[in-house]
Amino acid sequence: MRQIRAEIGAVSKADGSAMFEMGNTKVIAAVYGPREVQNRSQISNHALVRCEYSMANFSTGDRMRKSKGDRRSTEISLVIRQTMEASILTHLLPRSQLLNLQIDIYVQVLQADGGTRSACINAATLALADAGIPMRDLVTSCSAGYLNSTNLNYVEDSAGGPDVTLGILPKLDKVTLLQPLSIFFQVLLSVIGRESGGVEAVIPLLPSKAMDSKLPIDILENVMQLAIEGCKAIANYIREILLENTKQLEYRRGV
Amino acid sequence: MEEEKEAVMVTPGEVLGRSSDVKAGRGAYAAPHNNTVYASLTGFRRTIPPPPDSPDKRPTVEVTGHKAHGPVPQPGSVVIVRVTKVMARSASADIMCVGSKCVREKFTGIIRQQDVRATEIDKVDMHLSFHPGDIVKALVLSLGDARAYFLSTAKNELGVVSAESIAGATMVPVSWTEMQCPVTGQIEQRKVAKAAS
Repeated sequence: MRQIRAEIGAVSKADGSAMFEMGNTKVIAAVYGPREVQNRSQISNHALVRCEYSMANFSTGDRMRKSKGDRRSTEISLVIRQTMEASILTHLLPRSQLLNLQIDIYVQVLQADGGTRSACINAATLALADAGIPMRDLVTSCSAGYLNSTNLNYVEDSAGGPDVTLGILPKLDKVTLLQPLSIFFQVLLSVIGRESGGVEAVIPLLPSKAMDSKLPIDILENVMQLAIEGCKAIANYIREILLENTKQLEYRRGV
Repeated sequence: MEEEKEAVMVTPGEVLGRSSDVKAGRGAYAAPHNNTVYASLTGFRRTIPPPPDSPDKRPTVEVTGHKAHGPVPQPGSVVIVRVTKVMARSASADIMCVGSKCVREKFTGIIRQQDVRATEIDKVDMHLSFHPGDIVKALVLSLGDARAYFLSTAKNELGVVSAESIAGATMVPVSWTEMQCPVTGQIEQRKVAKAAS
């Protein structure tokens, strides 16, 4: 597991923001909202969660120009959105009955060194918690690969070994994200879940990313276990950061 | 209301108790599948004992976060608005305060012709009731359409509380329909609010 570091309040204008580092991967997330829906055509009877993911041009070693709406970023936006949606309690938002609300999550990768997906989800969770948006649990995410270390860096990732990215609700022991995901995986996951301390797979079936490489079943179990442990470690750290931040704010307020 | 003195900080997802023992208040939620109450915000946990007359004897658990959401106009609340546009049948205004609290985001309201005053509502001339820039005390009637709240000034104590004359001076109320400019002495028509005494 690589070193993690987080900071709350990276963007002062946003309602909630956070910076999250995992080794050399560095991600910044900002949350705006809940606010009134801006685009009137998108009005629906539940709160709208939007997510925008982007990667800074200078984030990778080889500088390349990436267009905003490319396939990868659309996919990651979707992944983050669905993962967060599973955790946000839209019906508990203040005045959710009165107006049509939307929550915007902006995630920007400043430095990419593998595991950006996980780092983005962790940063988004922190930012949402900072914004005071009611959540079922803190979603945390971690990737694990078959180099038998959690949290692959870029070199390890691009070596082409099999890896999984996992997002869980740590206190509730529920899986909200698993990539790559296939029907076979889901079945397997429930079996593993029962064996390894009741981690239960529930929420959305994400569009399965094509598996880059094969992952034998016996290894998957180990990798999953590693990822779950990683997620829980991150959750503990995030909780610490949140409590520390709240303490600081209370202290400044003079309570 | 008595509050238990405890400064326990919680984060989202932390267990606050069984739903058979406690009720979920603000910042908490009860999961139906395992009858457990969880926190949904980061902040301090507070336990509020039940009101003595209620049949439900469970105390309420709340989590108060540090991010307070601004006040929101509700039907029946008195608001202070600034008029932005006056049309023949309605005037639109931006809500600035709800009660005594400032709003944090923009809410718009509409004062329709029939809501300006209580009597002779069909003889109201909007242009003789409000001008853009006037500060008006109004009552929220309803949430209105998706765009704006419906506001009313059909009470003695509601209406224009502060207005500038053409000369740019703050006018003094003369009657419930007139205000006078202290510089030029010119009288302008408004739906004036009765000053709270």
